[in-house]
Amino acid sequence: MEPANSGTTLTQEFSIKVSDHMGGETLKHCYQCGTCVSSCPVAKATSSFNPRELIKLALMGAEEEILSGESIWLCCSCYNCQERCPQKVEIADIFYALRNIALKKGYIPSMYSQFSTALLDVGRVVAISKFVENKRVTHGLPPLQEVGIDNLRKILQATGFVKLEEKEEE
Amino acid sequence: MSETKIGVFISDDGKQLSKILDFNALTEFSKQIPGVVRVETKSEFWRQEGLETITEAIRQGKINRVVIAETQPKVSEIKIVQAVENAGLNPYLVEFVDLKDHCASPHRATPAEATEKAKAMLLAAIERAKLLEPLKKLEFPVLKSTLIIGGGIAGMQTAVDLADLGFKVNLVEKEPFLGGLAARAGRFFPTDDCAICIQSPASDVKTITHTSRKCVYRSGLSEIPNLNMYTNSKVMDVKGAPGNYKVTIEKKPRFVDEEKCVRCDLCVAACPVEVPDEYNAKLNTRKAIYINTPNVHPPVYVIDESVCRFHDCAKCVDVCPTNAVNLEQKSEQVTLNVGSIVVATGFQEFDSSIIKEYHYKEYPNVITNLELARMIDGFGPTGGAILRPSDLKPAKKIVMIQCVGSRDKRYNSYCSSVCCMISLKHAMLIKSTSPNADITICYIDIRTTGREHEHYYENAREMGIKFVKGRPAEILEDSEANRLVVDVEDSLLNRVIELKADLVVLAPAMIPAEGSVELAEMLGIKLDEDGFFKEYNAKLRPTETKLRGIYLSGGATFPKDAPSTSLHAHSAALKSAKFLMNGKIIKDQKTAIINDEYCGDCQFCPVTCPYGAISLEKTTEDHFVAKVSDLLCEGCGICVGTCPLNAIELRHSRPTQMRAQMKALMSVNSTSKPLVLAICCSECGHTAVDSSGMAMMQYPANVRVMRVPCTGILQVHQLLEAFRFGAQGVMVVGCKNDGCHYEEGSQNARQKIETSKVLLREFGVEPERLEMFNMVFIEGDKFAEAAQMMTERVKKLGRLKITGAN
Repeated sequence: MEPANSGTTLTQEFSIKVSDHMGGETLKHCYQCGTCVSSCPVAKATSSFNPRELIKLALMGAEEEILSGESIWLCCSCYNCQERCPQKVEIADIFYALRNIALKKGYIPSMYSQFSTALLDVGRVVAISKFVENKRVTHGLPPLQEVGIDNLRKILQATGFVKLEEKEEE
Repeated sequence: MSETKIGVFISDDGKQLSKILDFNALTEFSKQIPGVVRVETKSEFWRQEGLETITEAIRQGKINRVVIAETQPKVSEIKIVQAVENAGLNPYLVEFVDLKDHCASPHRATPAEATEKAKAMLLAAIERAKLLEPLKKLEFPVLKSTLIIGGGIAGMQTAVDLADLGFKVNLVEKEPFLGGLAARAGRFFPTDDCAICIQSPASDVKTITHTSRKCVYRSGLSEIPNLNMYTNSKVMDVKGAPGNYKVTIEKKPRFVDEEKCVRCDLCVAACPVEVPDEYNAKLNTRKAIYINTPNVHPPVYVIDESVCRFHDCAKCVDVCPTNAVNLEQKSEQVTLNVGSIVVATGFQEFDSSIIKEYHYKEYPNVITNLELARMIDGFGPTGGAILRPSDLKPAKKIVMIQCVGSRDKRYNSYCSSVCCMISLKHAMLIKSTSPNADITICYIDIRTTGREHEHYYENAREMGIKFVKGRPAEILEDSEANRLVVDVEDSLLNRVIELKADLVVLAPAMIPAEGSVELAEMLGIKLDEDGFFKEYNAKLRPTETKLRGIYLSGGATFPKDAPSTSLHAHSAALKSAKFLMNGKIIKDQKTAIINDEYCGDCQFCPVTCPYGAISLEKTTEDHFVAKVSDLLCEGCGICVGTCPLNAIELRHSRPTQMRAQMKALMSVNSTSKPLVLAICCSECGHTAVDSSGMAMMQYPANVRVMRVPCTGILQVHQLLEAFRFGAQGVMVVGCKNDGCHYEEGSQNARQKIETSKVLLREFGVEPERLEMFNMVFIEGDKFAEAAQMMTERVKKLGRLKITGAN
């Protein structure tokens, strides 16, 4: 470990950890051309999300900064960047890998935490409000079906989601 | 042949070797081997009296086979072999052993075992020598003429060089005019001078000076007496072999007689057909009868037959004052007999329209570097003005985008190497005529590696050209404002910016010329993974191919700037001249030979031969026999290793010779240590053994080295046989997979080793007793390590037991 000038701690092994993780395999292909950034609808809206910089930080090993920060959760998964990357870096997939690593370490923004709790409790990420139900009626849409919560829990159990969720609650 | 009389000559390196090896024992040992009539020991045998000892014995008829243990066999070999030949003995009857680097040095810690190994080495050489057969030197005629494919700056330069040297040169260009890509580029960096000037031919005695360089149109190229130019022509077929190719070219009709046309321009004025001019990026129009630019060569019009109305119009025929227009002209087939062929087909721009987000060919104001070059050129469609193609108004804001389709794994992963400099050149040329032009170059990395190139970059900054480090994601069109918007992140500012532009210029990748695949196939040479022509060896033979007689000039091997192209073109000319100058190819007969009786229609060998040296010949109604061309055969033996019927042998490495050698190496061992046979190719494998000895590395003396031409010669049964002769372990040492001197030999060997391992298991033998290693000369340490490792391994495995079949 060596402290960078900015005070960020760099962990050399981190880039290996990310590229060994499912989805993170192409991390080291990146040559920082910035095509992802100018392709990114989120980056255009807020300067707090810069995919190129995030990849660079991952390559440099800024583990804590990445995992504890909110950046990795801002990707909207439109895959525009991945489509256009000249080095075939699977950028959005790398962010999924980083999110998984963060979650295992207990880092999760409260909004995502609420989503996952809701998913386990009622089987939906967003609760269906009266307002939504009424809106559907006015548009002539049928009422929403009940979620098969038991089956959904089995799936979440099998995929390891439940375990991650528990870890987060610790 | 009369009785075999072998002379054995053992050098003791000025009594240095005898400190380790027991020379008396070696002499006694050699003397009692049947066939050996003479054994001598001296300081050295490759100079002065040592050499005389050998030649004297030959001259007096006392010996007719020579086995030499020299301390520097690879240095002395040439001299000894020559002397042997002069003394009247066939030089292929000499066998060499290296008792220093292959024995005494690496085994100095165990002198007794080293002496045992030395005996085995001598025995192996003697047994092999007994079976050697005299070989001939072969001669093949070479025509002193050449064909150059491609009339760009590379082809023209190679043509002038070879013509100056006196060879008959045929230059074929597919376009109606010479110049290729260079002519369209206008100017070159870093000198900013004209693209199409070349070094003047020596035949131009009246105006040539040492410093003379001339634009193609006044170069006198067409007046070189021994140079034939075929423009508007295409190579259709190539037959024959190095030194004697028969080439068919198709000369498309020009419809204008080159001997009569005076270039008065009346035909162009009269022609009613007007079409967009491809040469000038369709920024203007041209007539059906046209020339590209006023300074082209040959200075003769051509009719575009895809748009001309011919006899329905014939206005050009009517106005031509010299009756040069001939609408009846037909395409002609011309046959050329040449000794060598030079490929100078160059490169072309990648089609940027494949990258949808840049909207090339969709938005008119998105153009490429080559198109911009036409605008900058005073002879070009705009007379040098930089305009927006959409409305032909001046372009004030210009954005250039680098690496379009290059350094891009989706299209071309390589760096095209010339585009950074091209864009800098264009930006500066525009700036120098319009200082108010607002130019921004978007780049990933600016690469300016040549002499004066960085200076260029510096000047560009001085001139106020802006640089954004970032590759744009998209070009958008604001059609109302007739403006383009380039979305790019300036990664140094960490900010996404929108660059407004009148004109966006793409720097497309440079890709192989069209038709490269077909041409490579026709010539029997290879393309690299990017589709460029592959040179034989990037370091030593950058303009040669695996076939002697076929050479590469200029951008055909990779995108190049003008100075590198020129250098490459001169090199191609030199290599071609070296091949042509003697009028003959002399090579030895260490080639493959087919046993017709065994050969059985399987067609494996013609496919695996890296040199296309094997063809199939019909013998009876439905029976084919493989036939080896002694001219093309390089003597690697890959065909031998491939043949399932043992129908092929190499004249200098016959299976009988190899078996005798193997058996001998495994027969002398007075210790209980397990023997390991190291089969090494004569290129990297054998030299790695040399270098481990030279570097005084140590490994056990029970590792015995056998040399083969290429590991590709090995057959599965030979590998198994080694164990039968007593090897407890076998290591095969070849060149690196991508560095095999015979293209694919070491890769073939690896496959056979995998097969052998399966069979060994069947026989109850541990497959790890057999292993393949790949190394280069400098990796002597790796050889010593591998030898040590294999010894340890077989020791651990214990004595070999064959439990399977008999």
